[in-house]
Amino acid sequence: MLKKAFMIMCVVCFMAVMPVQAADFPTKEVQIIIPWAAGGATDLIFRALGATTGKYLGKAVIVVNKPGGAGAVGYTEAMKAQPDGYTLASGITPLTILPHNVQTAFTYKDFEPVINVVSDPGMFLMRSDAPWKSLKEFLDYAKKNPDMITVGNSGAGGGVHLIALAFENAAGVKFNHIPFTGGGPSVTALLGGHVNAVSVSPPEGIEHVKAGKLRIIALFSEKRFEMFPDVPTVKEQGVDFAMGQWRGLIAPKGTPPDVIKKLHDAFKQGMNDPVFQKNAKDMAVNLHYLGPEAFGKLMGSEHELFGKLIKGMKK
Amino acid sequence: MFESLQHLVTGFGIALTVDNLFYCLIGAVIGTLIGVLPGIGPIAGIALLIPATYHLSATSAIIMLAGIYYGAMYGGSTTSILLNVPGETASVITCIEGYQMAQKGRAGPALATCAIGSFIAGSIAILGLVFLAPPLAEAALAFGPPEYFSLMVFGFIVLCNVTGTSLIKSLMMAVVGLIIGTIGLDPVTGVARFTFGSMSLLSGMEFVAVAIGLFGIGEVLANVEKPLAFLEGKVLVPRLRELYPTLQDFKKSIGPILRGTGIGFGVGLVPGPAPVIATYSSYMVERKISKNPEAFGKGAIEGVAGPESANNSACQSAFIPLFVLGIPFAPPTAILLGALLIHGVSPGPLMIGQHPSLFWGVIASMYIGNFILLILNLPFVPLFANILRIPKKVLLPLVILFCITGMYTVNNSVFDIWMMLLFGGIGFLMRKLDYEGAPLLLALVLGPKLEVAFRQSLMISHGDFGIFVNRPISMGFLLATLLFLLFPVFRIILKSTGKGGGFRGSMGGNKG
Repeated sequence: MLKKAFMIMCVVCFMAVMPVQAADFPTKEVQIIIPWAAGGATDLIFRALGATTGKYLGKAVIVVNKPGGAGAVGYTEAMKAQPDGYTLASGITPLTILPHNVQTAFTYKDFEPVINVVSDPGMFLMRSDAPWKSLKEFLDYAKKNPDMITVGNSGAGGGVHLIALAFENAAGVKFNHIPFTGGGPSVTALLGGHVNAVSVSPPEGIEHVKAGKLRIIALFSEKRFEMFPDVPTVKEQGVDFAMGQWRGLIAPKGTPPDVIKKLHDAFKQGMNDPVFQKNAKDMAVNLHYLGPEAFGKLMGSEHELFGKLIKGMKK
Repeated sequence: MFESLQHLVTGFGIALTVDNLFYCLIGAVIGTLIGVLPGIGPIAGIALLIPATYHLSATSAIIMLAGIYYGAMYGGSTTSILLNVPGETASVITCIEGYQMAQKGRAGPALATCAIGSFIAGSIAILGLVFLAPPLAEAALAFGPPEYFSLMVFGFIVLCNVTGTSLIKSLMMAVVGLIIGTIGLDPVTGVARFTFGSMSLLSGMEFVAVAIGLFGIGEVLANVEKPLAFLEGKVLVPRLRELYPTLQDFKKSIGPILRGTGIGFGVGLVPGPAPVIATYSSYMVERKISKNPEAFGKGAIEGVAGPESANNSACQSAFIPLFVLGIPFAPPTAILLGALLIHGVSPGPLMIGQHPSLFWGVIASMYIGNFILLILNLPFVPLFANILRIPKKVLLPLVILFCITGMYTVNNSVFDIWMMLLFGGIGFLMRKLDYEGAPLLLALVLGPKLEVAFRQSLMISHGDFGIFVNRPISMGFLLATLLFLLFPVFRIILKSTGKGGGFRGSMGGNKG
């Protein structure tokens, strides 16, 4: 009798300290921390996704901007949040870059992957009147004149810079990388003829490609663009290379798997919602769904790759 | 030319939507209030309201923030005329003739002339913006890293030369700004500099915190020091029927208004605190060419009409370097640059093409805004003047409260509030010791751009400094910089031969 009472007490105590009851998750709003300012591409995407996901989740999804420290401020806060599923963060490419550049309190390992939503391929643009007519001509020239072709990027150590470095390794050439403060300024400098090419991610520069002022000399995606079916990928042209920038959702380490599953299912439904699909099309982003496991693998391999690239860059 | 007009028509379509009209009105009203209230100027005013625009579209946000900027130019004249207290620095010169007119019981015509002059100047300057900005943007593509570098060097030297009383002090402030600007991630290698392990400093010193600190909190602290009864009780509010200028007033002012518009437009295109320089230059010109210069200093309407038109016109044309080059030449446009970036718009040669609805919508809204301000400022002047009757002990704490809550909403960061308060203290000391905040703030904004342009140039040229002088545009700016640096030397030579040299001296003398 006494034993039974003790056991009941134990169960009650255990129930009381159990962190989350997945069965009734969520009981309140879920918030997504965006470690960047309001109005940026990441902010817009997840605001749109949050708006359509609310009805599938049963509770509203709120987006909170915590900019600062190139993302470090927001990620540090998200890492320290209760792992109860009510606090998520947008996990995007810089999460696997920043820890190699500066001392951060976190790496991607401090988070649980939930879902990947977007993957924008990297590409090189150049002016339509550039002397190189094909990727082969471009790379041949680069091989003969190492360090002479200037390639602009949106910021040192940023996603498209590292993509350019990785492409350099894959193609066996050496460019002169010029960092700009954002994708817009680098495209402007290209149009003005101050650099030979730029490394960008769509939608940057796309309108100038459409207008015929710029063209895509190298496309780093697995498949061709829907918008430009005539532009071949570099893979088709014999350089085994594909790389892009991804944007997904992550939760603090220790968030229960069943809660993650619930979140994942709701956000996946939100992703497939026609309203969100249309929003994404308007924003010219490339939707790319990955489940928790595949997304986690992607983050892991990118983290390793960026680590190597940055080590090489600092030498 | 024709195409620009067509775009402008679409711009009016955007600016005339109910939403945007509303934000334009809000901007104009807040701007007028900020211009009227001595405790807070357009710089801190715009910075404080950036968070309020987070939920707006970029177009609505800039329509509202730009409205605050030019609205403050209207409002600033009110206190200058009625109280001999400039609401913001660009209205300092209006005090001279405006207050004299008010003393003679002609405050009404002075106020009306200001509003009408500002409206005419604003309208003409907007036309200039419409026709000049697109071709200039096209030309600005020729600006690569070396050109930007030389342009910014030129900008710093000109700004320091025309701000405040002492070139040395201004240069010192610019250097302090440059140093603060190095905090954060290195733009070329991505290494953290001077952050002392603080995550909050990784993306650099939040410049809104510096702006609100220096220009908001600092100003409030400086006001606290003044005698309590300084503002209260001596407001003479003119009645509506006394407002209208006589036909003779109008005849006298139309020339100065048009000349002021031209001067202001030119001044707005070059680096420096455009509205301030524009008002001084216009006043000097009017006094020099006047047939009866003895009337100046005793309430000459020309001395109100010219400068007030000039500062408004300068305000509009200052948008050209911001929109076309992405380089702000003065603190208020620097804050607007910050606002544009927050809304995901990076101004530069491509902005007009990339965000046509924003560019043309904002320009059309300026036209509408000027009209709103004209209506607002003519019959409602007594209302705005009455705001000055709010006791300082109520007003100043309120301003501090707005600053703190406003600062928090920028990044949801308490760290930023501490930074703002720190810079508030620094701003107060700078005022006491007669240092200008403008070079510091501008250097903080432009410093990282200057560094990037410098290092990009050298990376492109593989370390050869010749890139700065081999390219003609860059060379031109460097030569102009040299001339400006040597300018004081020329002045000494001129002075010793007994001619000229009055401009800078009287500028300093009239300040504060």
